[in-house]
Amino acid sequence: MPAMPRRKRKQFFVRRKVCRFCVDSKLVIDYKDAATLRQFITERGKIIPRRISGNCARHQRSLTRAIKQARLLALMPYVPSPPPA
Amino acid sequence: MRHYESVWVVHGDLPDEEVKSAIDKFSRIITSQGGVLFRLEEWGRRKLAYKIDGTLRGYYILMDFAGTPTTVRELERNYRIDDRVIRYLTVKKADKVDVAARQAEIAAQAQAMAAAAEAEAPAPEEMAAEPGEAAAAEEEV
Repeated sequence: MPAMPRRKRKQFFVRRKVCRFCVDSKLVIDYKDAATLRQFITERGKIIPRRISGNCARHQRSLTRAIKQARLLALMPYVPSPPPA
Repeated sequence: MRHYESVWVVHGDLPDEEVKSAIDKFSRIITSQGGVLFRLEEWGRRKLAYKIDGTLRGYYILMDFAGTPTTVRELERNYRIDDRVIRYLTVKKADKVDVAARQAEIAAQAQAMAAAAEAEAPAPEEMAAEPGEAAAAEEEV
């Protein structure tokens, strides 16, 4: 296991982002699983772009779709609710 | 027959009987349209992410079923008519479904769940019994 050299290299190169759904096939994208989908939205409720999250195109597409379906069912917010005054 | 999944939300301020009758009504629509209801899952009352119809609570129901496009059209038409339903979403899971196989799968899942529940239940009892006995023994001494 070349663990040491790899760690060193990180200081010089930008960390390569990999699609989380490609790495772990057990992770499924499901509109019913709001807890997982929440990891891919900002505090403002916006969907995090691929450029930031590192998802591959295919998974980003299904993720976007799942988030929008979850929003329709009010499992996830379109816009975060304001804190109680 | 296609494999569908339909999640719908009933207004959360309605009494349980209303919810029950709505569940009854919509599951009957599936069967009356030649569909087969595999599984009905009640998620119960949950907090909505935003206000719908002046409420923040909704009763979620998931129906896993086989049917034709006509089944879905009729089901969704009724969702729209019924004022108790505030949201619905029907998703096609597969173009073809083996009804018998899916029913067997659901039955197996239910059995596994029951077995797991049974296996779990006696364990805490044993745990509870031991300290009690130990305490009793100490008292005797």
